[in-house]
This record gives sequence, structure tokens and C-alpha cells, in this order.
Amino acid sequence: MISFSEIVDRALNGPICAERDFELRIFVPNLRKVVEKYKIKYEPQNPVPSDNDLADRVWEAGMEFLVETGLYCVDTERRILFTRKEAEGAIASGPRGRIFGEDKDARTVPVRSPEDKTAPFCSVGPTSAPMSTEWIYLQAVKAHAIGPFTDAITIPCLTVVDGRPIMANSPLGVEGSIRAVWLTREAMRRAGRPGMAIVNGITTASRSQEHIAASQFGIRKSDALEIGTVHEMKIDFDSLNKIAYCLAAGISIFGENGIIIGGLAGGPAGVAVVGAAYNPVDMLVLRAAVQHPFPTHFDLVVSSLRESIWARSVLNQAVTRHSTLPVVNIGYSAAGGMTKMLFYEHSAWCIASVASGGSIEVGGAARGVGLDYTGPIEACFASEMAHAVAGRSRQEVSKMVQYLLTKYEDKIRTPAVGKKFQECFDLATSTPEREYLEMHREVRKEMTDQFGLQFTDASPYL
Amino acid sequence: MPDKEMVYAGLRQVIIAGDREKALKVVEEALRGGFSASEIIEKGMSPGMKEVGERFARYEIYLPEMMMAAEAWEWAMKVLEPKLLEGGKETKKVGRVVLGTVAGDIHSIGKDIVGAMLKMVGFEVYDLGMNVPASHFVTKAEEVGADVIAASALMSTTMPQQKNIIDHLEARGIRSKYIVLVGGGSTTEDWSKQIGADGYGKTAGDATALALQAMTKKGAQL
Repeated sequence: MISFSEIVDRALNGPICAERDFELRIFVPNLRKVVEKYKIKYEPQNPVPSDNDLADRVWEAGMEFLVETGLYCVDTERRILFTRKEAEGAIASGPRGRIFGEDKDARTVPVRSPEDKTAPFCSVGPTSAPMSTEWIYLQAVKAHAIGPFTDAITIPCLTVVDGRPIMANSPLGVEGSIRAVWLTREAMRRAGRPGMAIVNGITTASRSQEHIAASQFGIRKSDALEIGTVHEMKIDFDSLNKIAYCLAAGISIFGENGIIIGGLAGGPAGVAVVGAAYNPVDMLVLRAAVQHPFPTHFDLVVSSLRESIWARSVLNQAVTRHSTLPVVNIGYSAAGGMTKMLFYEHSAWCIASVASGGSIEVGGAARGVGLDYTGPIEACFASEMAHAVAGRSRQEVSKMVQYLLTKYEDKIRTPAVGKKFQECFDLATSTPEREYLEMHREVRKEMTDQFGLQFTDASPYL
Repeated sequence: MPDKEMVYAGLRQVIIAGDREKALKVVEEALRGGFSASEIIEKGMSPGMKEVGERFARYEIYLPEMMMAAEAWEWAMKVLEPKLLEGGKETKKVGRVVLGTVAGDIHSIGKDIVGAMLKMVGFEVYDLGMNVPASHFVTKAEEVGADVIAASALMSTTMPQQKNIIDHLEARGIRSKYIVLVGGGSTTEDWSKQIGADGYGKTAGDATALALQAMTKKGAQL
């Protein structure tokens, strides 16, 4: 694989191009061309397609798009270009799974393929949810960490430090990021999982200096930092700086691909192709151990929409049929905690990802933006659903997803608000409300009755 | 003179297609054919822009189509604006908006969509890009005589920068001159009220509607 220094060199010396020209004269026409050439068409009626030929066409379209388009460095206003051979070299020599966490809490992110029986890796947590106090932060992390299939933690975002609102890029951002890592470690210790990995270090941090500072106070080599392009196929020095740090410090990277449905990639078909193109980019540029795509709708900001589920399913299939870089999908649902809608939304996108060759990072509730809104039981249940469908056919899972969509699709614009974490859990005893447990049991029974899915009795929330 | 309806349809079509070169060509042909700049805009291009906005709201088209339509409009206006001025007319603008993603935040897709939608409905948009310091919003607004300052923040840790813009306006004693709208992933109606903003847009469509409402209200006050 070509070196990171070579990538930096291309960012500094590649062909000059105005950003608007890269977007409208290069990215958009190149993408439209391959979507048409390879006949990639969104099929809303089948959210988890079983069409290997479609997956292979998406892969070919992605590779062609990548070679013709490359990346754009916004700081130097230059293009970073690759040859097909360089992309193939990255795929041939790239990662083949990685262990995260330590000691008894170490877990493997496996290389999976569509309909794979291998259990998925499940990172569970209050994904990026803004938390109003350190105490709520700690208890919310702990409530996710005790899940039986919680392989790692996806941490929330602390919004205040010593009573002061955290402002990114300020000393409060540095202190807040450090505090968030410390709180997460303490929460995992209290959950009896001291070696568990943090995979999205560090949500509270926005810029590289905050990431690097917080990494000195509790981030381990067995954790991961999530580093992404700033937008579709665009990168900046700040992201490249984070990568340079991780390479020097030996910290693994989850390569974030935040592809917006309705953004530059257009609809679900374009999003799937861009997702495939990101696979070698994640290795060549982001130097990632894991591909971490999350197609999200531009307007509704959720991953549980039909369009998003289809795009994710197809891109997962394309990538996992052709590359050994493991895929872990992250997602955001619309509903708040302690709602059946959140159970259904999380479950729908998670099982689609797993049947399509991916693993999951689940827990983003209320679009990831409601203060203190997170649903630990829904997230833990989604990880159980993910295990329950491993090895099931895509066709079967597509039917399950269609059933789940009927439960929430018409409510996605005005979702169930639900309750804040402190309203559905007793903070003093770390126990959920009785009504919450009852809701959990009802949904479990429904999934068993409808689809014959079997769950263990290991959940602490029964 | 060529058939009027055919010419209007052609103008509408090039805007919808977002073809800037063709838009320029069709506009020049229409001018040569005796059409006035104002009727080219009002009867041909504006209905095209309106349709683009409606298709976007129905999720039939996406950001690239919006951006290309706005670009085709801008190219056509380079030819039409001097003609309007010659005729003693100025381009009718709904208002002027200074738009950007706040300091520390590098997310721009939502902001780009809002910018394109504002252009669609006739605003003159000054897009400052992303990672924009609070003072830059204020300085630009003063420079161009803006009506609206629209600030986007995706992250909870960059939201305080929206309040910072209002603080800067207050520090310069010019808060009442501007309508301040906030939006972005982490923001909420409550947050907007808490910092004393004039409105919160959950979606790009909301932001555009808010800006239009604010201009109507401002017009009523003048």
C-alpha cells in the first residue's frame, strides 16, 4: 500500500482545483456517469436486496468513480488522485479484522460477508448524545456497557465541564474531551468491563488538538479514534493531523464515511457507489482498520429511513464481497428512549447491516441531538437482534425490515419523543423503570412470534 | 419575435436542468429575439427556480441539482443584470442573507442546502463557508447591508458560537438591525430562544420559510 507520506505529498502537490469545480464539474458528473453505466437503481420495495450482481456492479462503479474523481483537500485546494492499481494494492494488503479492548473484554471486529454466520461486533452506547451532567454521562455509559453483547462502547458527548458549556476549539473543549474519556473508563469499570474498548474516541472533541490532548488521558492502543473525511470525498488538514497522530501513537482508526442522502452523492444509488469508493480511501488516506459508513438523510438526519437502509445494505454487500476491511455501520434513529419506535428503528437498520456483511455501532437516539436522550435497553436489544439474524438470508431479513418499517415509517417526521435517560432510569440505583422493562419484554416476544428469532436470557433488562 | 411560450419554456428548462452554458445561450438568444430582461426572469427563469424548489421539497431531486440550478441562474443574471440597470430597474431581491457554519465546525452540507434554497426563493446569499468566526458574520453583514444572519452548527460543542454571534452584534450595538436565524443538527427551538435568536430552522425548508416570514415582518415594520 502506498504510504501516508505519499498521500500527504499528493495533498500538497496534486492538481489545483476550485472546490465548487470539484463538486459540480468532477464529483457529480463522474458519479452520475457510473450510476447510469452500471445500472444502479434504488429499489424501495426491497430494503435488503439479495442481488449479488447488483453488489458487484456497485463495487465496480465505486472503483471507477474513485479513480476518476479522487479526493479533494480543502486546505490546499488540490486533488489527491489514485490509480486503480493503487486502490487494488490497498485492498490486497489491507487489514483483515482487528482486536479491540483488553484482557477478558477484548473483542474482534471480524471480516464478514453477506449472510455470514459469524457473530457481528456490536459497539453499543449513547452514540454522540449530548449529556447535561457528568453523572448522567457516567450512568448512561454504564447502562449500555452491561449489555451481554456490548463488545465496545460508543460514547456520548459531554456538553458542560464544571458547569460551563463546552465550546469546541477552546480550553474547555480540551478539558471536556479529557473528562469524557475519564468518565467513560470509570463507567466501564463500574459495569465490570474495565478492558472494554472505546471505539469513537472522542465525541466531545471536535478538532485535532482536543483529540490528541484527550488521548493522553485514558485512550489506549486497544481503543479507536473515529476519523473521517469532512464531506463526501473531501478531507482537510485537521483530519490528516489526527491520522498522523494515530499512526505515531499506534491507535487504530475507524474510517468514518458520513455520506449524506440528498447531498452531493444524490439519492440512495449514488450513496451506495460512493460508499464502495470509500473502501480503498479508508485504507489509503484514513489508514483505517475498519470502514465505518453511515448514510444519513439530509433533512431528517436519521439512518432508519428506507432509503438509508437500502443504501447501507447495498454498499455493505459491495464492499464485503470484494475487500477484507471489516465494516461497522453506525446509525441514528429518530425516536427518543423508552419508546417502541426506537426498538423498531434500531432493529431495522442493525439487522439490515448484519445480513449485508457488516457489524454495528448502535445507540444513536433522537437523531443524536436531544439533550440526555438515549435508550440503553433499545440499543442493547438491537445488539441481540444483530446476533439473532447472523446467518439468516438477506431475503428473510428484508421481510423483517419491511415489517419493522411498517411500525415507524409514517411517524419518522414526527417521531415519539420518549423520555430522557434520567426519566427512564433511576440514577441512584442504575435501574430502569418497570414500564421500560415491560416494553422490552413485549418487543422481544413480538420478534420471536413474528420471525422465530431466539434470544438469550443474558440481558440484564429482563 | 419567436413564440413566447416556447421561449419561456426553454428558459424554465435550462434552469431546471442546471446547465449554466446553455442558460447563458438561451438568455442571449431571448434578448436578441426582443424579450426584455425582466420578462425573461419573471416568465421563464423564476418559474424554473420555483419548480426546482418544489421538486427538492418532494425529495425528487437533491443538492447537486439545486446547486446547478442556482449556478445556471447566476450565470444568466450576469447578462441580465446590466440590462435591468440600463432600463432603470434593479433585480428584485427578497433580501440579503449572510450564511455560514460557525467557528470550530466544518460541516457544510446542511448550510449549502439552506443557501441553495434561499437563492431559489430570491434571496441574495453571501456564503462565508465553514469554520467562520462570529465577528466575520457581523462584519460581512455590515459590509453588504444584510437583512438576515443565518448560522449553522452541527455539534453541541460548536452551538455556543451561535450565541457568540449575537454577543458580537450586541457588543457593537447593532443587534436590532439583523434577523438572526440558527440551525444545524444539534440545535433546537429551545436553544434558539435561550440565546435570543430570532428563529430556528429544523430543516432547510423551515429555514427558508423563516427567512421569508422574517422579511415580511421586517417589511411590515418599515
